[in-house]
Amino acid sequence: MSKASETEYWRWAEHQWKNPDIPDWQGSLVTAGVDIGSTSTQAVIMADGKLYAYSSIRTGADSPNSAIDAINTAMEGTGLSLPDIDYTVGTGYGRVNVPFADKTVTEITCHARGANFIYGSGVRTLLDMGGQDCKAIHCDETGKVTSFMMNDKCAAGTGRGMEVIANLLSVPIGEIGEISLRVEEEPEPVSSICVIFAKTEVTRLMRAGWPLEKVLASYCRAMAIRVVRLLERNGIEKDFAITGGIAKNAGIVRRIENMLGIEALKTESDPQIAGALGGALVAKDLIEKKGSQNFQKDRRRVNG
Amino acid sequence: MDSLLMKSNIRNTSIEEWKQKGGKTIGTICCHVPGEIFHAAGLLPVRLRATGCTDDSEGEVWMSSFACSFARSCFELLLDGTYDFLDGIVSSDGCSMATRIYDNYKYYKKKEDSNKFYLKDIGAPRINNTKHALPYYISELNELKAGLENHFGVEITEEKLKKSIAVFNESRELVRELYELRKSDAPVITGADSLKITLASVSMPPEEFNAMLKKYLAELKTRKPLNDYRARLMLIGSAIDDPEYIKVIEDKGGLVVCDATCYGSRQLWEPVACEGEAIASIAKSYLDKTVCPRMSQVSTHNELYDMIIRMVKDFKVDGIVYAKMKNCQVWGSETLYFEDDLKAANIPLLVVEREEIMTNAGQLAIRAEAFIEMVEKEDN
Repeated sequence: MSKASETEYWRWAEHQWKNPDIPDWQGSLVTAGVDIGSTSTQAVIMADGKLYAYSSIRTGADSPNSAIDAINTAMEGTGLSLPDIDYTVGTGYGRVNVPFADKTVTEITCHARGANFIYGSGVRTLLDMGGQDCKAIHCDETGKVTSFMMNDKCAAGTGRGMEVIANLLSVPIGEIGEISLRVEEEPEPVSSICVIFAKTEVTRLMRAGWPLEKVLASYCRAMAIRVVRLLERNGIEKDFAITGGIAKNAGIVRRIENMLGIEALKTESDPQIAGALGGALVAKDLIEKKGSQNFQKDRRRVNG
Repeated sequence: MDSLLMKSNIRNTSIEEWKQKGGKTIGTICCHVPGEIFHAAGLLPVRLRATGCTDDSEGEVWMSSFACSFARSCFELLLDGTYDFLDGIVSSDGCSMATRIYDNYKYYKKKEDSNKFYLKDIGAPRINNTKHALPYYISELNELKAGLENHFGVEITEEKLKKSIAVFNESRELVRELYELRKSDAPVITGADSLKITLASVSMPPEEFNAMLKKYLAELKTRKPLNDYRARLMLIGSAIDDPEYIKVIEDKGGLVVCDATCYGSRQLWEPVACEGEAIASIAKSYLDKTVCPRMSQVSTHNELYDMIIRMVKDFKVDGIVYAKMKNCQVWGSETLYFEDDLKAANIPLLVVEREEIMTNAGQLAIRAEAFIEMVEKEDN
């Protein structure tokens, strides 16, 4: 097999971030959320209600190890170690596989909570486009879920589907969205929502001589139509935001916005961490509800 | 001997004993085939279902993947010998899928000398409030009665029918008592176990069921209440005959306290009022019930949803789980109506797709868990 064919076009960048405004951690309450998705894992650390650090890595075959990798990556350069974290919530598809979690909460609850933090309390409609499923969520001003809907049994309209297309067409996944927007006119969407059949159809379109941007536009449009239906079923109300990896794909986001006639809220932060961030926020709530006194006492001791 | 909960199995010791004594059993399809008539003929009515079915590939060959998986699985169990204790099948035209279980089996039975096997389908009017509906249904039931008398060489007298009505009414009353216990703030029984009991009610002689349920209820009342659940749920949908399905939801902390489903509360709610001729009384009672969305009309459709909303209040339900059988046109085409109704009544609703063979337990579990997180009271 040639070197070129081994290029992993699907591979998105794993990354880590630390809040530059909190150079030396001195907080008294540290909570974490770890979101093990089917495709990616994020860990978020919050100190005194502020976003302190996070990481995003690919979920490996071994979920517990992915959780440990993610939290270790997030803690890099923070001076924190696991015992410094007061409370951890595990969430996502692999939430029961976070060995150091104190509690598990579903990603639906966590995403709404995280989006409320990232995008503000005005968010009512949330679309989480994850690795292997997507969810339409309605929430209130506190970030509590009021209704939700998940797609069923299909990876179409999800990150994994996009990865398959990236590899098939040898386009780096981060460029798909931009390239797909280069068309002057929107082509017909690929007709099948099944990833496998869509793959076949994309191959056919390439053979038929469609330019790359048109094929990608066709695929992105089909994905957008699919999730817009899901949103419509659950009800759409402003403000609207998108979380999950696909939120970084302008080709999908722009098309969804056009179909809904609503602009999605934008963020400087990473929309992919919403679930883990929500987990860290739920963790904070739980501690505060139980009474933070004890935790603060412990913290002082740890810090000498 | 099996416990009451074990009688929820399609093949159970009560049926075995019945057969050993030379008793005949009739499989019934849909809730408009009144058990009382068979009982009065000395036959044991067993409501067809597919609880525990793990493979429906043969059923699919006959009925295609388009058929709802409940119907396919029921047919599979007819073919694979699970129902070899049956001496006949009687179906009503509840929905086209259920009717095809009957039709296909009739076709299948043609291949053998099946004169001994009793097969009959009856019509139950979909529109139940016209002046023709009741007389038509009465005549269908009379034809069934005559058919059974002829085939099994028995006489179904008025007296026997009235006795049977009383026995079945007692079952209904006992099940109602069971449901009363579930209204409590700290119920003593799970939704999964309650379904096992209502399944048992259609899978064993009713006198034996009544005696066992009476004992069970007495024992229940002394049981430690369940108070570690996070939310009280109601389950609605079509032919939910799988206690394991409810268990997946309850394992996540959502106690199912009531239901509107084919095998749960629905056919057992109101007693048959015996006024005048027995068959006519049975017909009137069965036709009057707000049992199934198949009877929905714009003028009457609210009855079913009024009932659901009333139950939500009575049972202090935090949210409704609607298990939507894939390809079920009867419930599927209702979805929009009642989603709006429930929204207006401020009742949280979770819609989950269901197939008879539970391959998507994980998908149900995550939705149920998120729904429970959504509806649970903060102080839990």
